[in-house]
Amino acid sequence: MASHLEASARAPERAPRAFGAQPGAVARRRILLDRLARGVFTAGGLGVIASILGILAFLVIEVWPLLTASRVGSAASFVESGAPPDALLIDPSRSHAAGIAYDGLVSVFRLDDGARVIAEPILAADLAAAVALAGDDALAAATRDGRVVIQPLAWDVSFEGDVRRVTPRLGERQWIDLDPARGPVPVFAAARSEDGSAAAGVVADGTVVLVRQTQARNFMTGTVTTSEERRSLESPAPPVKLLFDRAQHRLYAATAAGQLVAWDLTQPGAKPAVVAAAGASPVNALGLLVGDRALVVGHEDGALAIWVETGDPARPERGTAFSQLHTFPRQDGAITRIAASQRNRTFLALDASGGLGLYYSTSDRVLWRGEAPVAGATSIAFAPKGDGALLAGPGRLDVLDVDNPHPEASFRALFGRVWYEGDPAPSYVWQSSSGSDDFEAKLSLTPLLVGTLKGTFYSLVLAVPLAVLGAMYTSQFMHPRLQRVVKPTVELMASLPSVVLGFLAGLWLAPLVETRLVSLWLVALGVPLLALAAGGLWTAIPKRVRGRFVSGSELALVAVVIVAGSLVLATLGESIERSAFGGSFPEWLYATSGARYDQRNAIVVGIAMGFAVIPIIFAISEDAFSNVPGNLTAGSLALGASRWQTVVRVVLPTASAGIFSAVMVGFGRAVGETMIVLMATGNTPIMDWSPFNGFRTLSANIAVEIPEAPLGGTLYRTLFLAALLLFVLTFLVNTLAELVRQRLRERFARL
Amino acid sequence: MAIGLHERRPDRVGDAMTWLCCGALAVSLVLIVGLLGVLAWHGLGYFWQPRLELLALRDGGKVLGAVLEREEIPGAALGADGVAPTRIRVEVGNRDLTGADFRWIDDADVVARSEPRDAALLERLEWGNFHGFVRSVKRGDETLASGADAWPALTRLVAEKARERESLERLEKGELGALNYALERARLAERKLALDAPPEPERTRRADAIAAETKALHARYEALAAQLAEVRQRFDAETVQLEAADGAAKELPVGAVVRAVAPNALGFGGRVGLYLSRVWEFVSADPRESNTEGGIFPAIFGTVMMVFLMSIFVMPFGVIAAVYLREYAKEGIAVRLVRIAVNNLAGVPSIVFGVFGLGFFVYLIGGTIDQLFHPESLPTPTFGTGGILWASLTLALLTVPVVIVSSEEGLAAVPRNVREGSLALGATKFETLWRVVLPAAAPGILTGLILALSRAAGEVAPLMIVGMVKLAPSLPLDGNFPFVHLERKFMHLGFHIYDVGFQSPNVEAAKPLVFATALLLIAVVLATNLLAILVRNHLRQKYATRSI
Repeated sequence: MASHLEASARAPERAPRAFGAQPGAVARRRILLDRLARGVFTAGGLGVIASILGILAFLVIEVWPLLTASRVGSAASFVESGAPPDALLIDPSRSHAAGIAYDGLVSVFRLDDGARVIAEPILAADLAAAVALAGDDALAAATRDGRVVIQPLAWDVSFEGDVRRVTPRLGERQWIDLDPARGPVPVFAAARSEDGSAAAGVVADGTVVLVRQTQARNFMTGTVTTSEERRSLESPAPPVKLLFDRAQHRLYAATAAGQLVAWDLTQPGAKPAVVAAAGASPVNALGLLVGDRALVVGHEDGALAIWVETGDPARPERGTAFSQLHTFPRQDGAITRIAASQRNRTFLALDASGGLGLYYSTSDRVLWRGEAPVAGATSIAFAPKGDGALLAGPGRLDVLDVDNPHPEASFRALFGRVWYEGDPAPSYVWQSSSGSDDFEAKLSLTPLLVGTLKGTFYSLVLAVPLAVLGAMYTSQFMHPRLQRVVKPTVELMASLPSVVLGFLAGLWLAPLVETRLVSLWLVALGVPLLALAAGGLWTAIPKRVRGRFVSGSELALVAVVIVAGSLVLATLGESIERSAFGGSFPEWLYATSGARYDQRNAIVVGIAMGFAVIPIIFAISEDAFSNVPGNLTAGSLALGASRWQTVVRVVLPTASAGIFSAVMVGFGRAVGETMIVLMATGNTPIMDWSPFNGFRTLSANIAVEIPEAPLGGTLYRTLFLAALLLFVLTFLVNTLAELVRQRLRERFARL
Repeated sequence: MAIGLHERRPDRVGDAMTWLCCGALAVSLVLIVGLLGVLAWHGLGYFWQPRLELLALRDGGKVLGAVLEREEIPGAALGADGVAPTRIRVEVGNRDLTGADFRWIDDADVVARSEPRDAALLERLEWGNFHGFVRSVKRGDETLASGADAWPALTRLVAEKARERESLERLEKGELGALNYALERARLAERKLALDAPPEPERTRRADAIAAETKALHARYEALAAQLAEVRQRFDAETVQLEAADGAAKELPVGAVVRAVAPNALGFGGRVGLYLSRVWEFVSADPRESNTEGGIFPAIFGTVMMVFLMSIFVMPFGVIAAVYLREYAKEGIAVRLVRIAVNNLAGVPSIVFGVFGLGFFVYLIGGTIDQLFHPESLPTPTFGTGGILWASLTLALLTVPVVIVSSEEGLAAVPRNVREGSLALGATKFETLWRVVLPAAAPGILTGLILALSRAAGEVAPLMIVGMVKLAPSLPLDGNFPFVHLERKFMHLGFHIYDVGFQSPNVEAAKPLVFATALLLIAVVLATNLLAILVRNHLRQKYATRSI
């Protein structure tokens, strides 16, 4: 039958041609028009549908770069004669690089063509060791006669029209006598700042000698006086690596036994502040990440780990022990060089077998791994902007492009527990930005997910019972005439703009709840009792009076009783709060349990968002209830079941799938609600299920942060990821609900 | 056993549960009514002027203000008579003198209360209201009126100044604004010329034209500025001498007074008139004092224009998609899936659409347009930043599922026999659609559009990131060519609520205005929704009788 109708509906498309009643030209025009319309509607319809679905595609495209790997590729390769540089440095605009070789020659290369623009021997003899002070634009070397030389570099920038021109220049060298006995210093560290320079080295007898030169400029005369401080530091074993932090507050060392040592240079004394075992394998390379807190430790066996001082709650930045924050999969050979980015917590590690790795500390990510283009590389440098690197070896100098747009993102960093620098333990934190440049971005979406679920939970706790029970009453116990008034009224609630609800919650409800919390509890507990009392009252009315009203009119009485009773209970609550809680529940709460009470908290959000969700759940579950076929209920009633028994045993099981679907749709709405949570919570991304605290949801987080997020940056894409999560979550939940509902409809159709 | 004689056992648990269900519904309804009541009470109360009371305090101080509420002092011990001590919240005005708009005063501290008939309330352009007494009106050093004559003289002058202010604004916003706009266009034309770098004769010709125009504009600008300075000087000539309740003297240019009222001298009719004039100011005037006072006209205008633009986009596309799905596409699993997807898209959080709008419309499309057509104003973006066009498009995307679903419902409700009749008479499918089906489905389509409008009017979250601002300097529609400026940012009622209520420096003073704004927004949204419901009911009735 149905197929016959289908056929008859479609067949007449060809009708005008078949009958041929029209004169040719007009008929052709009509047919043409018909075809045209078909084309327009098909193209337009498909276009609109495609563009709607294109949203998902666009979100995915924007998020995708977060997941893609970084690339390190060779940009240029130059043949260089002479001894290969042992320490390298790149200028901020990546136009030049400076290196110091074992033969004591300081060279500056132009990176466009590899030309050596400066070549100045600063020492006649061979060096013992050399390092680059990347953040402070200087190269440092230790000699075979116990001295350390620091060679600053200056990059003078001039403009010719719009062309930027960098002219490298060697600054004034500083000499520091480390070993009075004039022995070689193969292990050393150096640091340079505005106020002075420092060097430390291991002398022949294995002790660590520290020399600090402080320069003081006399403002009147302009003369510079240099004072020198010399200390000898104790070490559990002779260090094989030494490293200063840039502020010269700390000297780090690593020993052959795999120990890490840190001396506090701000305090007098020779004893190390912290000693810790970093593993059995000897430490071969040491580096400091930007922020000068996290040590990158590279071992003889190719292992790489990040260590940070922890354990002193009074001074979280300087602890009493070393903790291993992150580890990375082993490289093939012994780690020989580590170069840290000055932009973020990315670093490069070079191993003895020619392997090169790019890593990011916070996200535990191996960004890239491969073969170093230069065999037997002697030194490596990271460009200050983090977009390139330089690798030098015998006869070669290679410029590498580092394409590393989103190192901060990894599944672990976005959803897992991460141990951030300066924290006592791993945690879930969202803190996307801060005032300082060397800030470690904390992009864990987990607190936001928890906040989202928390807000949803508290709102559903309020909304589900009210909406489902209310819908049950409306459909099963109410006269249709009243239904026609009540249903649209509740459904009209759904159209209330959430900004109004949020405003009322934040500015009107929150202060009210804060001062009358006890009253609120009393009312919440008392309302069911009041409803029962109203029921008692109704039955007390003589039947002939009651009978004049249509069923459902008792609602008015219940409402009146509830309002009046709630007012009484609220007054009662105020006096209870005064007598039992000293007049203020939040203060009492803080005094007795130490729990903080935020004015804008989960209770307030629960009420406001519950308000937004009630009509949605109500409408769908009311539909489910009223669509239960009447013959089922009639049958049940005919068999002698009471009205309530019928509702619970017959109607409810039949409609339960619909109610589930209603709750799902309500859940979807609460998950994505933005304005209410934005206005009615403090938007603090904390992980806490207390009803007295605020939270931050995924959606509010997007609204707060995306206007400030730089286009294409990691934060921007992370917020797109949050949007994508919301999209997928609500889409799945709604689809599930819709499928359930369709199944239900089919079942009803059969009943 | 005889059927029907058996008395039914009373079902106590069932009855109790029924009452609980009834209670749940009652609570829901009480919540709605309560919410609307709170909004109406605070929102409508905002415009009502209470009497000004002169309170003499125990410490000798005097306060003139409107008593707003009374409450028990929190945390205070009960008095000797077992009654908790109370305090009152007084709106004292005079923010410039006392630094606060409101003051809590313990009832115990009030010695005497009176309502002086000459107590005056001046609404000012700056610093909020002034409460006090008018002593004299001066022009320069010459006293125009003093004592009992001062008040009528002042009200006369204030009315005169209101007219002058209007003409001043016309000059500043209208003519001067148009000049500034033209100057800015000339500057951009110059930059564009430098960027285009056309061959020589062409270049000089264009450069000369721009130079001539700029010169003419500058000349007109000078003349206008001089005229403006003169008007402004005349405008500021008169001052009013005032005295606050505590005796502090204050001198104020009459031009800075927006409205002068003596609330205690007003009868009921006068107060109603005042109420209505305030309501009119609220919906028709520009905001003052960083949006916390004055009207919300630009926000109303922005909302209406955005919703209007949105319906231009959403209507045809939504209807075309619905017609395709219902009339042209082959019913099958694919169409069913698409239908579910479209349906569910309505449940996707609005902020997700905002994120999409920002990334796709603003940055991708807007950025490309800027590079192609507006290179002269870069790096300042023209279309590559939030604006009313992108906001409407984002909202159109957000609401198109609503229109599709509702239009499909409308189309589905058209009985098959009507179509078959048309087809049988020889009409083509398109003719049937155009002449028979679409007119019959119009109420359904209309319902969808109205629902979309109501959703759009109340939506804030996505718009916050694609084009709304707290204070737009100019409307997106004005007298400067090309009249409709789709790239401009705009104000919006919903965002106004969020911004004034949560971001403004003086939230407490701004709260009543936010209540009034919220009430207006709710009224608009509820009205459109009611309309949709009525249309839908009408539609259902119409087809309930026809479809057999």
